[in-house]
Amino acid sequence: MQYSKEFLLEIHKNLLETRLLEEKMKDLYAQGRVPGHVHSGVGQEAAYVGTLSTRKPGDYFKLTHRPTAMPRMLGTPLEMLFGELLAKKTGNSGGRGGSLHIGELRTGVLGMSGTLGCDAGVAVGAALTIDMEGRDNIVYMFMGDGTSSRGPVYEAMNLAAAWKLPVLFVCENNQFAISTHVSTSIPVENALADRAAGYGMPARVADGTDVLAVYEAAKEMAGHVRSGQGPAVLECKDYRWRGHFEGDQCAYRDAAVAKEWMENRDCVKNLEAMLAERGVLTAEEAGAMRTAFDGEMEAAIAHAEAAPSMTPDEIYDGLYA
Amino acid sequence: MSKKITVSKAIGEALHEEMVRDDKVFIMGEDMAVMGNVFAITRGFLEEFGPNRVIDTPISEEGFCGMAVGAAMRGMRPVVELMYDDFATVAADPLLNQAAKMRYMSGGQATVPMVLRAPMGAGRRNAGQHSQSLENFFCHFPGLKVIAPCSAKDAKGMLKTAIRDDDPVIVLEHKLLYAKKEEIPEEEYLIPLGLADVKREGKDLTIITWSREVNFSLEAAKTLAAEGIDVEVLDLRSLVPLDWDAIVKSVSKTHNVIIVSEEVKRGSYAGEISAQIAEELFDELDAPVERVCGLNIVPPFSPTLEDENFPHPDTIVKAVKRVLNK
Repeated sequence: MQYSKEFLLEIHKNLLETRLLEEKMKDLYAQGRVPGHVHSGVGQEAAYVGTLSTRKPGDYFKLTHRPTAMPRMLGTPLEMLFGELLAKKTGNSGGRGGSLHIGELRTGVLGMSGTLGCDAGVAVGAALTIDMEGRDNIVYMFMGDGTSSRGPVYEAMNLAAAWKLPVLFVCENNQFAISTHVSTSIPVENALADRAAGYGMPARVADGTDVLAVYEAAKEMAGHVRSGQGPAVLECKDYRWRGHFEGDQCAYRDAAVAKEWMENRDCVKNLEAMLAERGVLTAEEAGAMRTAFDGEMEAAIAHAEAAPSMTPDEIYDGLYA
Repeated sequence: MSKKITVSKAIGEALHEEMVRDDKVFIMGEDMAVMGNVFAITRGFLEEFGPNRVIDTPISEEGFCGMAVGAAMRGMRPVVELMYDDFATVAADPLLNQAAKMRYMSGGQATVPMVLRAPMGAGRRNAGQHSQSLENFFCHFPGLKVIAPCSAKDAKGMLKTAIRDDDPVIVLEHKLLYAKKEEIPEEEYLIPLGLADVKREGKDLTIITWSREVNFSLEAAKTLAAEGIDVEVLDLRSLVPLDWDAIVKSVSKTHNVIIVSEEVKRGSYAGEISAQIAEELFDELDAPVERVCGLNIVPPFSPTLEDENFPHPDTIVKAVKRVLNK
């Protein structure tokens, strides 16, 4: 596949920045600077970045708890992202949502649900709005392999398929629902892709650690959805590098397998090797990008830490009933 | 000018008028389109508004309630119907975790202007999973407005207001009110949410109630009046927001209260109101507040048993006399 240099640099930038943000968040958490929990998506960036590289203005997105940093790629400023993570007024919800709920409606984000899969219907409803308004936009409904076993996902898939609504259901299969492996919980090889046929949807399975492979599969499926032929499924296979939450020691899995994925299936490292080989981006240039973005992140963190926290008298703001 | 129509017709008129007024309003639910609703409320709508605005869903309450949230977040004004309020348990997450929380958790970025109509209540011999009154279930969750009008006039005026509201509103409609014919204004009107209505003035005791039990309370009031007991019937109409000022005004006048609802008594919204009165208005009370509710049982099928399970006018009369020690 031939790609322009601009395209490759853009997809690399998004992949690298997502990686650096995910790493920064877990580091901040380890330093005790983040309330609540952080669900690090280090190692899983390609599934999201590759898929979202097919988006168009006016599309909608249902994100998940991991990678937490995805709203950045969709246009949420770093100051706001870290503001929310640190429960500050400058966060996208003024610290009412937290790390699971970063995102801005204006960027097309429909929020994330702490109750997994229960928001699949919300994604289909947004697609109904698109349909009623006669636009050629689509909704990207992301979920993990664990969520692919939830009932509401299938009500939503059935409704979307029955009414040919523009939804791309994306399953990012990192193999683990906290500690439970797909092999003991899902009866088919491909958690969502194998179940798509039950709703008459086309499906593609991609190597979720290869951002360009994801992009190609996503382009095909998103194209199907965008052309008005109804919903489709994309499944991206990867591996959850970190624990479910920071602090999870992953005693339930083989560390050697994890190491193998981290060493050989690192989506950022592999893309950078390819770009260096093609002469698109040198290791030095990539290093300079890291340094520059780290500076941007540190400035945004400083901004967030200096920002005011919510005050008790604001507790009812935004509540109407 | 006024006209006499059934409660169900009044609800249908509200839906119709709002759909004509605003093309963002659409209705969705089971058997709403081709059949025109199991209670005939939307008969003729499909022909008039077409299948894009009058939508029959598969049996997917969780799915289509979630869709209403998503469509509402992105600019539409869906009015969805659960065939029975009992099905709210299967659609709990989109209602209680998505619709109710979206505006707060998004810091005000998103609003969810959806209406959920939910037929409720006992008396149709539909047994335990089709006869419940779940006010407490909906009212527990901050972020939902909950109304339970009784009269045709209130049902129409409040539903129209609910459809124009920018936040989610649950409309509890008692199934045994649908066929009741009542006077309503001929011309268009709106009734605000959050305002109770004194359906009968009195000085001896306040009956706080809503939905079908308003009618039973008015019947009880008539019986009591013949015995020289003058009760006030305060129809809350809106459970959330609650018209606390109206409660304060009435209780401060009568100093005696019963709260009448069809809910299971244990954990009921009637109990919540009772607790609020005990906390805030203790000095106004001449006697303890009594809840007159359904029993702590599964709604039974048998007519004999079911009729034991919700307050009737004579149950209310007895309760009033008990509180007044008469």
